[in-house]
Amino acid sequence: MSEVLLAALRLSMDLAGRTVLDGVALTTSAGEVVAVVGANGAGKTTLLRACAGLLPQATGDLTLGGVDPRQTAPKRLAALRAYAPQHPMSAWDYTLTELGSLAPSPEAFHHWRERFGLSASAARRLSELSGGERKVAHLSLTFSALGDAFGKVLLLDEPTTALDLCRAELVARAIRASAQAGAAVLVATHDLAWARSCDRVLVLSEGRLVAAGPPDTALTAELVRATWGGA
Amino acid sequence: MNRPAGTLALAALLLALLALVALACGSAGLGWGTNGELLMLRLPRVLAALAAGLALGLGGANQQGVFRNPLADPGLTGVFGGALLGIALLLAAATEFTWQHRWALPTAAFAGALATSTALVWLGRGRSTSKLLLTGLGLNAFTAAGTLLIAARFPEARDTLINGAAGDWLGSATLELAGLPILACLLAALLLLTQASALDRLALGEDMAFCLGTDVARTRLSGVLLTALAAAAAVCLVGQVAFIGLLAPHLARALVGPRHRAMLPLAGLLGAGLLLLADTLGRSLWTQTPISAAAMTALLGAPAFVWIASRRHE
Repeated sequence: MSEVLLAALRLSMDLAGRTVLDGVALTTSAGEVVAVVGANGAGKTTLLRACAGLLPQATGDLTLGGVDPRQTAPKRLAALRAYAPQHPMSAWDYTLTELGSLAPSPEAFHHWRERFGLSASAARRLSELSGGERKVAHLSLTFSALGDAFGKVLLLDEPTTALDLCRAELVARAIRASAQAGAAVLVATHDLAWARSCDRVLVLSEGRLVAAGPPDTALTAELVRATWGGA
Repeated sequence: MNRPAGTLALAALLLALLALVALACGSAGLGWGTNGELLMLRLPRVLAALAAGLALGLGGANQQGVFRNPLADPGLTGVFGGALLGIALLLAAATEFTWQHRWALPTAAFAGALATSTALVWLGRGRSTSKLLLTGLGLNAFTAAGTLLIAARFPEARDTLINGAAGDWLGSATLELAGLPILACLLAALLLLTQASALDRLALGEDMAFCLGTDVARTRLSGVLLTALAAAAAVCLVGQVAFIGLLAPHLARALVGPRHRAMLPLAGLLGAGLLLLADTLGRSLWTQTPISAAAMTALLGAPAFVWIASRRHE
């Protein structure tokens, strides 16, 4: 049985008097890709940010790579997981070379950007790229931070949003490759077709986990109708 | 030599040449005097301008990096105003004590700058950077009003404070008076340079910076403390001066790109050069009625800033 790298129990979070995560339990093991789905505002992003250690005020039990990410120093935590936000941004107009130099391994950054089909000159600035190209440039930073992936946790928030079909497929393959290399992957997505290709699916609704398991079991037609209103 | 290193070397060389010119120019005419007496007279002023400009350039670049906003500047966010208000409060409360102890003015300025910075972070917590800057503008107006109120109520401090608000203190610099603030400027500059890597990652957003291993809270705290130190030390030397903290980082970014490893030191050198140039022109062009460094900085800086703002390099 594969090692559990990410585990949460009774994970809850209140924001401005509203419960945005309500007693969520999950496990993700090495080699596994788990999709988190749900309607807008269901709590997917909050769940990923809590797992990444970005919400120290979240309550409940949480273990990532053997430590509680809420109480672990950022540098130590960076060696255990990589995270890609839903809307990556940069305050300054970095070139691809400059962006890559922020990665733990610039060589790995350029490897991943080429793997994602971003063959633009390294001197190109982020402002000169399309939205999809900028997205994969930032995803390259996340994947390069994952290192050899073995024993690490990869947390991706809607990684294929704004990507064309070809690039979305390249990212999907990279996610699967990372899992095969020994990472535990948790991905928030609105792409139900892709979610069905994952090992397991977690369905969130109003901060609560309403279904979990293999896609065929978790994503029943009845649940899809109830969650997305017949989508 | 790569481009950033070459640009830094060229900037350092030009700054050294400018310092020599500044030492040779003034209301008493060109040259260093028969026995170097003019040189010794001008040296404290030139050193003060260099140190203050260095701290202002680096402080502005640091605040822009911490707030991830190219419009952040200690002059706009009330930190300079807080430093001057700290000085004003001390002068009002204990004028004699202030002039008897060399450490009193810089300490009061640091306390004022730190209080304003803390208020800025506290009042602007959890808000967007734009709202944080608007909060800073409010604090700036408040501190300026406080300083003017004290200047009006305490005649013995009036001239000092009015000159400080006009950025016209460089003329009274002596090695004895300026020594401690100059050292504080250099210390702040050295410590600010160590923030480069964290500021680079902070540009990607707080979540991403944290996930790449940056201690975001510590970076912000260091940024606030060091900017307060830089601003306080610079205000003790010059008084309030706008544009340096805004203009120097913009110029540096246009020349060597946004990576802080090269941009921070260049912003410091450019800040030193801009302030020294403004002061030298202000006291050399109109020798009978010299113009303050702050006024010359605004005269030179405003058009340059508009030109830079119209270019797309952010």
